[in-house]
Amino acid sequence: MGDEQPHGPAASAPYRFAEQHVPPAPVRVSEVAQTTFEHVYEVDPRLMQEHVLQQVFPNWDTLRIMRSRGDHLEWMHRHFADKVITGSQLLAEVEGEPQG
Amino acid sequence: MTTLNAPEDELETWPPTPAPLDAGRMETLLAALRPVLAEDQILTSKADRYNRARVPAPFPIHRWSERVPDLVVLPSSTEQVAQIVRIANDLRIPVVPRDGGTGLTDGAVPLRRGIVVDVKRLNQIHEIDLENRTATVGTGISALKLNERLARHGLFYPDDPASYPCSLVGGRIGTSGWSLIGARYGHTRDLVLSFDHVLPTGAVLHVGDGGGGKISKSSSGYQLKHLFMGHQGTLGIATKATLKLYPKPEAELSPFWSFDDYDDAHACVGALARAGVATFSGAVLFDEHKVAYLRRDDEAYIPQPHDVRALVCAVMYGYEDEVRAGGKRLFRIAREHGARYLGDEISEGDWAARHDRYATPLHGRTKDGQVIPMSWHCEDAAVNYTKVPAVSKAWHEIIADLRRKTDVFDDWGMFAYTSADTGVDYLTEIDVGIWEQRLDADAWAAWVKAKRDIAAVALAHGGSISACHGSCREGEVDLVPEELGRGFEVMLDVKRALDPNNIMNPGKYLLDRAYDEGVTRG
Repeated sequence: MGDEQPHGPAASAPYRFAEQHVPPAPVRVSEVAQTTFEHVYEVDPRLMQEHVLQQVFPNWDTLRIMRSRGDHLEWMHRHFADKVITGSQLLAEVEGEPQG
Repeated sequence: MTTLNAPEDELETWPPTPAPLDAGRMETLLAALRPVLAEDQILTSKADRYNRARVPAPFPIHRWSERVPDLVVLPSSTEQVAQIVRIANDLRIPVVPRDGGTGLTDGAVPLRRGIVVDVKRLNQIHEIDLENRTATVGTGISALKLNERLARHGLFYPDDPASYPCSLVGGRIGTSGWSLIGARYGHTRDLVLSFDHVLPTGAVLHVGDGGGGKISKSSSGYQLKHLFMGHQGTLGIATKATLKLYPKPEAELSPFWSFDDYDDAHACVGALARAGVATFSGAVLFDEHKVAYLRRDDEAYIPQPHDVRALVCAVMYGYEDEVRAGGKRLFRIAREHGARYLGDEISEGDWAARHDRYATPLHGRTKDGQVIPMSWHCEDAAVNYTKVPAVSKAWHEIIADLRRKTDVFDDWGMFAYTSADTGVDYLTEIDVGIWEQRLDADAWAAWVKAKRDIAAVALAHGGSISACHGSCREGEVDLVPEELGRGFEVMLDVKRALDPNNIMNPGKYLLDRAYDEGVTRG
């Protein structure tokens, strides 16, 4: 990749088939799940061998699905209210109050 | 799959579905409809009809062909709906209204075939009255599409089911639906001021407080609005409704807290709901089975530590200063009950996903842990706060009994949602995964028995069979006469008086009994 070509999954990034079909090494996170990309959880492949077989996704499609979910949730927030108040802010304020 | 041995008398108690209309009757029906509807408003293809045979609730796949309507119509006005119903009444052909088709009690399923009236073309916004804060809409519109328009005016129609993007105003009326944020804004019955309603004979009624219109409270005459809500299409078809509007909320807050003990979570949700905070819009209790299910299959919960055994979420809407002040009060209550805040990402993301549960792809597990494709179903009830733990325990035992016999059913845990702003009662629901491809007559009979048992538990604890979905499916419906007592006989009298030929969604709610020989009037 030349210097003029931006890194990462941009529209102008080159598409290399082999790269797209090699996900990051899985990391086990529970008895039934593993993670590949950060925050991308998958059922343990050993549990998808009989009735539902695990499908192979190119990396870009896995990330697209994850980001689409994020987009969808963001849209829902904006649809229902103009802004979201974060609980951590209020928690910090409450924890800073004298307890009596 | 393990073969189930349901008692013979529980295997199939419903009358056989009539045969499809023969060619002669179909031609008579089409000849009557063609002067009323355009060609593209009459659908007869197999795909059009099969796709309107079911709703997302578990479905006896092995009997799909028995639920297929003879034809589908897509009217675009109240007058067209009225003419269709008159024709059906004259020809004695069943009529089944269908709105979003998202209901969970089979209201839109044509048990006796006939004409499905799909109201999706009644999707006009007729009026937005900024001064009186109302919108008048066709019943084929969704709250989502309406709210996109209302947002331009800073307004909001706060009817918020878990099928928010796809359920339609008419279906909400026919079901008398329950809203996630009803503890602040009320439920469908509170938000719909009045509506045009086509009776089973084709007459058109405008129903609401008093003469209807934009009146929110009248003491004139019988209060008929509630009669024509929640009837599951058995008393006619709502076509145009006037709705109450609110300012679009400036701010949203939806904290999620975890507990290492269900009883602590139950105590906390009760305290939150009873606090009387004006912007409190609802609270949800997740039980241990629900947390276990989420830790299996929901990316937000998989990494949660094992001492997280129950969850509570609260949600608030309003002006920012109000929500901040009320929110801090709720955080103090949660702290007093030993709650741990789950963080902004889960709190905000999970709440946003609650508006759209129907879009979730679902799978469950065999008992040895293998993934299987499953459809989701939830059985609901209305239960007082103090009875929620006992009902939850009994319901899990019912599903555990099913699961011991077969992998067709999987317990996905329970939620309890506040219904009112005082915390008096909760919509309790048990989510059950069902492996529909493996359903057969025996498994279906076992499911129907479980539904009956679930309803019986709700009644035994002083609750109601349903807070939201309705109670006209096989199994639960058997207990409706017990629940309503003399009121059920009034239902039969009303049905017979308004639908003398039993053409409006026949086969539902045991209302065929209104036409049994020997039934006395009055």
